Amino acid sequence: MLHVAHHWANSIAGTALSGWFQNESWVVPTSQSIHIASVSVVFCCAVMISLRLLGLSASGRSVSQLVNTLVPWMYRALGVLLLTGIVQTIAEPVRQFVTPVFWWKMFLIICVLTLTIWFARAVRSNAVEWDAAARPAGAKWFALTSLGLWIGIVFCGRFIGYTWELYQ
Amino acid sequence: MNMSDLLLAAEHTPLAAAMRGEVGGEWLFPIVETLHVISLAMVFGSIVMVDLRLVGNTSRDSAVSKLSREVLPYTWGAFVCAVVTGSLLFVSKAHVYFYNLQFQLKFLCMLLAGVNMAVFHFGTYRQVLEWDEKLPPPRAARLAGALSIALWIGVICFGRWIGFTT
Repeated sequence: MLHVAHHWANSIAGTALSGWFQNESWVVPTSQSIHIASVSVVFCCAVMISLRLLGLSASGRSVSQLVNTLVPWMYRALGVLLLTGIVQTIAEPVRQFVTPVFWWKMFLIICVLTLTIWFARAVRSNAVEWDAAARPAGAKWFALTSLGLWIGIVFCGRFIGYTWELYQ
Repeated sequence: MNMSDLLLAAEHTPLAAAMRGEVGGEWLFPIVETLHVISLAMVFGSIVMVDLRLVGNTSRDSAVSKLSREVLPYTWGAFVCAVVTGSLLFVSKAHVYFYNLQFQLKFLCMLLAGVNMAVFHFGTYRQVLEWDEKLPPPRAARLAGALSIALWIGVICFGRWIGFTT
């Protein structure tokens, strides 16, 4: 499978856009910096919501208040992450596609996105119940799973840069 | 002992050797680096939450003082983690980082962010109860919030650039 990915990577690397990104040495670091700033927004929002659900935060805000304030920011930041991620992939397709860590990251992102969208909908459709309980039922496993997934995603993201040369 | 000797002495500690992968596995540096990213994500994310409230842009239903009390403990906790992990990364090549322009600019941005925070905290924030829920917040608060966001974005950019210039 990684063989096919290597083939795709080479076709992307051959495009004019990819060549331009590679020649302009500021493109990748700039894109990565914006990517990290956006990761911070998503990650911090996810941690705040999870800690609130675990009953560990000093937040005076209700679950639905937190979700309504923070989840839209997560979606916005995820949009920026997708865009900058695409720029980095076009600039260095081989670096991304050859390492399984990149594909694990994509898989974890799909998991956490599905989980977050489902959770945000559940809270919105039943705000009264979520807000009434100090530690809403079923919230604990969501909080822990989502925390674990996000930490895994950051690890995978950083490790793409350290593993790709092993698969060259 | 001058600065240069001190930096070299730091590089010669067993800890620095372990961070360079000379002792134990070569994976220590990337693991510590990832923990640094997680810490900085919490620092930046939580600061931006408060800053955007100071600008008057988000969390408008929470009073400034209440939001600060809720969020800033995370900021300081994560900041301590970022300092510890950052120091570990630093000693691996203390000499190189110390004289790296991007590293110096990163610390200049953090210093300015600290000054901005102190000026705001001991200035406008002392009368926070007068403008806690007022929208838009006073000009000085909006300025402090915007400046803080800009400086911390600078910290992230210069931080990332260190990896491309060392």
